[in-house]
Amino acid sequence: MAQTTKRVVFTKSKTQKSKITKTKVAKGTAQKRTVRQSKAQPKPVISPAMLPMQAISEVQGADGVYLQRNDVMFTAMKHTQGEFSDFFRALRDQTKVLGHRCPECRHLIIPPFMRRCPACNFVEMKKEYVRDTGIMVATPVITVFAPSRFKGQEPFGTGRVFLEAADGKMSDTAMLVRVRTTRGTIRPGIYKKGTPVKIAFCDSRQGEMLDIFAVPQNELTPRQLARSPLLESEIEWGRISETEFGKPTPQLEKALKEAIVHFQKLAEMIPHSPRATANLANWRRTVSVRTGGGAFGLVLDQGKLQVLKEGVKDPDLVVAIQDPSTLLAWLRDCTEPEGDTVKSPALTDLVIEGTLILNKPELETVTRLDRVPRSLRRDSVAIAR
Amino acid sequence: MAVSEAVHDAGIHIQEVEAGVAGIYNDIFEFQAIPESGFQGIIGLQNKPLMRVTNGGATGAYAMLAAYNMVASGQYDLMLVLGVEKALDCYDYEAESNTPAVVQTIGYSWDPWFERPLGAHASESYAEVIQAYMDEHPGDLAPMARARIVELLCEHAQNNPYAQRLGEKVTADQVLHSRYVVYPVRVLETCVYTEGACALIFASAEMAQKIKERTGRDPIWLTGVGAANEPYFVGNDITRYKVLHRIYSDHVATKQALQMAGITIEDIQVIELHDAFIPQLMITLAEMGVVPLGRANDLVEEGIILPGGKLLVNPSGGLVFGGHFVGGSNMMSTWSAMREMRARNFEHGLIHGTGASLSMYGVAMVLERRA
Repeated sequence: MAQTTKRVVFTKSKTQKSKITKTKVAKGTAQKRTVRQSKAQPKPVISPAMLPMQAISEVQGADGVYLQRNDVMFTAMKHTQGEFSDFFRALRDQTKVLGHRCPECRHLIIPPFMRRCPACNFVEMKKEYVRDTGIMVATPVITVFAPSRFKGQEPFGTGRVFLEAADGKMSDTAMLVRVRTTRGTIRPGIYKKGTPVKIAFCDSRQGEMLDIFAVPQNELTPRQLARSPLLESEIEWGRISETEFGKPTPQLEKALKEAIVHFQKLAEMIPHSPRATANLANWRRTVSVRTGGGAFGLVLDQGKLQVLKEGVKDPDLVVAIQDPSTLLAWLRDCTEPEGDTVKSPALTDLVIEGTLILNKPELETVTRLDRVPRSLRRDSVAIAR
Repeated sequence: MAVSEAVHDAGIHIQEVEAGVAGIYNDIFEFQAIPESGFQGIIGLQNKPLMRVTNGGATGAYAMLAAYNMVASGQYDLMLVLGVEKALDCYDYEAESNTPAVVQTIGYSWDPWFERPLGAHASESYAEVIQAYMDEHPGDLAPMARARIVELLCEHAQNNPYAQRLGEKVTADQVLHSRYVVYPVRVLETCVYTEGACALIFASAEMAQKIKERTGRDPIWLTGVGAANEPYFVGNDITRYKVLHRIYSDHVATKQALQMAGITIEDIQVIELHDAFIPQLMITLAEMGVVPLGRANDLVEEGIILPGGKLLVNPSGGLVFGGHFVGGSNMMSTWSAMREMRARNFEHGLIHGTGASLSMYGVAMVLERRA
């Protein structure tokens, strides 16, 4: 049996909380494995809630009733980063972005997706670090409804950045990154084509693309902008306090009162609708709603909604909206339904358009509330006007 | 069923068919690797070649391109082209819905190192191109023009007995008020990702003449083909990288197909194009040269594609209303263009397929009806 030696290597970064354990297999064998262990509790790759229980059910098919089996297409992977490992290791251990430059045509590519330049008959490219500053190629895209494996992260923005080389020129290719804002959730208007950005690094990094993200340079202080690397913990997040509404006008105050009345009606209706109750089940959040007409609070708990006129201390979520009457159309769809269709824009649309600003990227409270109007209709729940 | 209808429509016996091409996009959706292996005896091509083609969203168009080349090379005189897709078995047990699992499965088509871990998915990829185009051409792809096109395609679909949204009524106003699925694209501007099958018969000139004698119908000729795949990674040089605000593959493929057919875009009377998303349909028509880049609103505002306009676009209802069963939807488009050319006495039609991340893959084919 081969003998093994073990040594533990801590990463240089002070913020790095994980360690690397290298297991070296005895001389003479070809195997060498480096395993990175995180101090955080390991999470399963697949959420247990995603796993089906064995069952066979019946569904209506095109020509009769079909049997339907719960199943999975199951292949666990140990997926090597291969020759891209240098790039990911640079993100993780050096907090730097690595590119490749062709010595002949001088093209600089990020990420280093190829090692040989096909335009120069496959000449070997050279490694070159790029700066953590650059520009957006185009306005980023904002995802509202995420694929299965990214649930809970929405809304999130992704966009491509050209980064600067040491000589100040931009890279020839662009890298896809998550884009974030310090001022609530991502929404249109924060980034556009050409927006100067800085790449920031997560404090805890695994060696993957989510170790980094872009922030607009105009949201950073000169000191933050000068720092390299800039870590996530060095940025002040959730700054929607900067979204000042000014002195409430009588019109806004009136709209606020009306919105609160409708939320209270909604709270009374929900217990009468099994579907609406299910929409809010297994979700507890205290929400501070800040408007141009004043603030109030909502509590979602045990499938119920509670309205607090005085607002909330230490809320789980802060929602800011200038004009409370913007919420009224949605509320009237809940409390004063007309016909079978929902007429108002979804609350998620208000978030995505930037009308409704959240202090953090957590859309689930809003998406759960968005299901309520339809549920009330389906359960035929209405109250006397 | 699709194969049976195709051979009966062409007045041939399946045993006359010498070879086949099967367009099937994604093994995960099919719940089987090499899913075409199960077809061989069922579709009557036992002991004959059946080649599978898989090329992202453009799978159907590439399958037809492969069959065209197999016939044009002289190797075969009569071929079956079959497009098949499943999708809706994918299921998210946590959300109790198909959709998150379906978009996740499409997302597995993305680069697994640099892009997929960021949450890349089908809509996001096309939305990137759409957003970049809107940056380049502010004011184009106007919401009302897009909504009006959806309304138009809905009207067209009512004449397509195979349309998966037959009988549905969608208005421009509903489109404008529908939810965003990924900003800046709304749910009613997206294709219906679905399941289905479509079969076509490709024949050499000699065999086409025999079919004409049997059926009494003139064949539709394939006189121009073009295809191009853009590079995966985005950059600033269109000769080397994907330029985000273009669907350059559509431009190149269309140019090649028209050049081969010896005609211009002005000669085309019907286009059946791959409308994964309505704003992409508008960009593609601009890339084809129907309108200049940056003037796609003219398609509606100048009435170019509206009833009475000079160009008929997606009389099938497109993939938005006909349904996008990936392996076969471009074949449904071909069937629809052929039907319109015969019914309206058109001389030239154009078929288009697009697909893969950032709409990288493009195929165009010119159809001709000779008097």
